[in-house]
Amino acid sequence: MTARPPIAGMLIALTMVLVILGPILTVMIWAFAEQWRYPNLLPTDWGLKFWYQMLGRETVITPILTSLAITSISTTLVAVICWPAAYAFARLSFPGRQLLLFSFLAINAVPKFTLFVAIATVFLQIGLIGTFWGVVIVQMLSAMLFMIWIPTAAFRGIPPALEEAAFDLGASRLRVFLQVTMPQALPALAASYVLGFVTILLRWNRPCWLARPRSRRCRFCCCSFPRSLSSSRRPSCA
Amino acid sequence: MPADGIAAASAPGRNSAPYEGLRGLLLVAAPIALVILLVILPTSAMVLGSFRVGDGFGADRYLAFFADAYSMANLRYTVFWTLASTVSALALSFGLALYLRFSTGRLAAIVHALSLFPLFVPAIIISYALVRFLGPNGLFQLLLEQVGITGYRTPYLTPIGPYIAFIWESLPLPVLVLTAGLTQVSDSAIEAARDLGAGAGRIVAEILLPQLQRPLIIAFALVFLGTIGSYTIPYLLGPPAPEMMGVYIARTMGNLQRPDEAAVQAVILLAIASVVGLIYIATMARAGRQ
Repeated sequence: MTARPPIAGMLIALTMVLVILGPILTVMIWAFAEQWRYPNLLPTDWGLKFWYQMLGRETVITPILTSLAITSISTTLVAVICWPAAYAFARLSFPGRQLLLFSFLAINAVPKFTLFVAIATVFLQIGLIGTFWGVVIVQMLSAMLFMIWIPTAAFRGIPPALEEAAFDLGASRLRVFLQVTMPQALPALAASYVLGFVTILLRWNRPCWLARPRSRRCRFCCCSFPRSLSSSRRPSCA
Repeated sequence: MPADGIAAASAPGRNSAPYEGLRGLLLVAAPIALVILLVILPTSAMVLGSFRVGDGFGADRYLAFFADAYSMANLRYTVFWTLASTVSALALSFGLALYLRFSTGRLAAIVHALSLFPLFVPAIIISYALVRFLGPNGLFQLLLEQVGITGYRTPYLTPIGPYIAFIWESLPLPVLVLTAGLTQVSDSAIEAARDLGAGAGRIVAEILLPQLQRPLIIAFALVFLGTIGSYTIPYLLGPPAPEMMGVYIARTMGNLQRPDEAAVQAVILLAIASVVGLIYIATMARAGRQ
């Protein structure tokens, strides 16, 4: 298209800054405010008081560590089971392939809360409710769609001719996989891992409802101490 | 098991081993099992259980739900505001996607990055941030007062509060889907239309929209399904009554300790969502086949 007046673009960008960053910026300012009385545009007293208070509390540090542990474990488990499956979806033909690939959409098609209620009932019966591994298993669901669909697309995008050329030159299957297929799929695999990790880390209500009594995730402190939320944002999400 | 399977698998056609089908099924068995065990079986069990009355089956609990004015008000409220915020989010992201399709340069990159930013902000953070930003005496009100505008009335604790938050939170996915859809529309088609004298509105209505049908349906379904079952945003930003179904289900299950009623509410929500969910899966399947 021919050059449109940059004014339109500037306006859109400005609105986006105000609308998207405005609320987040408010929280950032609040994190460093000790006192912010009404008519002032900026805090009346700046300081790190609430950071010290929050970081000094056991009930904040433990959930953050638990949160990171659960997220790393479940993202890695999803990768271990989903990446080989993605390879199979892209490269092997087996009965029901298309149907099985689309069955992962069911995770998205069921409303989140309906799923909690359903899973909670099952977990209650088999004693997984309120346990570390119960949360790990449930959190795996949130990342599965990304970890199947993105890598499948990536493996499909690699031209089979490249692999065939390597075979013709006498490479073993393992070598072809490690030196031809993997290097090309790696960026997409890494992207899906990061996306999965972030998705799991940011979910709070799933574990909240399935694990309330014992395993505390960092979001709980956000829930119960709104004041510390502004500061807990940094350590948990940075 | 998986590593061995990968090593054995090779490019199609090259190695048409007799066990390829079996190997494929083995490789996908674990994630499929997880979906069956954690989504399909529990959901089916819940649907079945919600019809259980004493020793037999019946729709008694559903009749009770539909006879209860408060439950029905919650249901109507949920569907109305989910539709409203989904349509608004789609309209906004369509505008953004159009801008991104036809602009290049640093400004467009900034807009693109900003529109994806909510993907990395959890619902609870944006809810709290909006309380501080749009709430009474929040930063937005302070900014307005700086330029002399008074009489600001906060949307916090009104239906508009969650409505704004839903749009904010769900912006990235439709922007991604629609931008991808718009890049499929060739420049030459648009230029040809312009050479024949079509205005911007006509190009959008007659060239872009028809080709965007599928991305629009997928984006609609993604936003709708993400919003209808949400809990955090309506719980923190919305009015105490009526409630969104997510909040209502949680309260029935947690505070009132009535899992049977919660299951009925959840199944009703599922029934509404599954209409959109089936359209979504069908559209994805059609797109995948091409």
